[in-house]
Amino acid sequence: MKKLRAQEESKAVIPTASMADIAFLLIIFFMLTFTIEVDRTQVTLPQTMIRNEVPKKAAMISVDTEGNIRVSDGEQMSSLVQPEDVLSFAAEVVATDPSKEFIIKADTDTPYRIVDGVIDALKQAKAQIIYLLSQQETTDGAAPAGGA
Amino acid sequence: MEFKKRSVSEEIPTSSMADIAFLLIIYFMITTTFAATRGLDWALPQEDDNQQQEIEPEEAVLVEIQPSGELLVDQRPMEPGDIMEYLRPKLERNPQKPVIIRPDPSAPYGRMVEVFDELRGAEERENLKINISIPTQREIEMFWY
Repeated sequence: MKKLRAQEESKAVIPTASMADIAFLLIIFFMLTFTIEVDRTQVTLPQTMIRNEVPKKAAMISVDTEGNIRVSDGEQMSSLVQPEDVLSFAAEVVATDPSKEFIIKADTDTPYRIVDGVIDALKQAKAQIIYLLSQQETTDGAAPAGGA
Repeated sequence: MEFKKRSVSEEIPTSSMADIAFLLIIYFMITTTFAATRGLDWALPQEDDNQQQEIEPEEAVLVEIQPSGELLVDQRPMEPGDIMEYLRPKLERNPQKPVIIRPDPSAPYGRMVEVFDELRGAEERENLKINISIPTQREIEMFWY
């Protein structure tokens, strides 16, 4: 009688050799797109049709609905300042780099007088260009989910 | 006495590489925030700007923003979308016609941005150059009164 050979055992192995390659590709992606957010003030930005890319290292001034003003030179985390101190901050930034851009990140419902004070300080400090941070305007006028 | 030579593997152990990589991925995923990175650019007038000129309120189109957010364009109530309809014939007659946006101190900031965006959008759509001016309260008090 012919002897049957014992059935060959097949190992259940998931090939993981390329796992590290995939993971490192993802890391490279995240590292390239990673930017340190210098200001984390929660605001509802105004909606605009025109939205130009803001420079990455621009100085930032954020204003919330209560009128709290935070400033950052674009390198360090933002810190709370008094409205009258915005001018000295802006002057210091412009003195270091006269072509430095400024970003105003203000809540859409902020009373204009507070933003006016910030703009006036930037004008007096001889800032050249400012960016009014905004979110994409939607056709039905509704704000997209999530703030800044 | 005979010593047994232990064989040493020549391979670099890479089995934990994926674990380390995934830990790094998790770190980046948690710390990454999708920040708003776009906005409306505004070149502030410079002192040495040749184009800079004193604007008399009487010869300009005055867009006032009321505390409630309502717009008054040369004292006429208007919606932001209708400003260009009013402005276009004036710009055809005088392309240098200044447009002054003057928000009330209590008006919402978003309304000023909306008007400014409307005019900037019209500039792009219609290939125009509108002389937009947004004076601050200090400038108004200094130069207008």
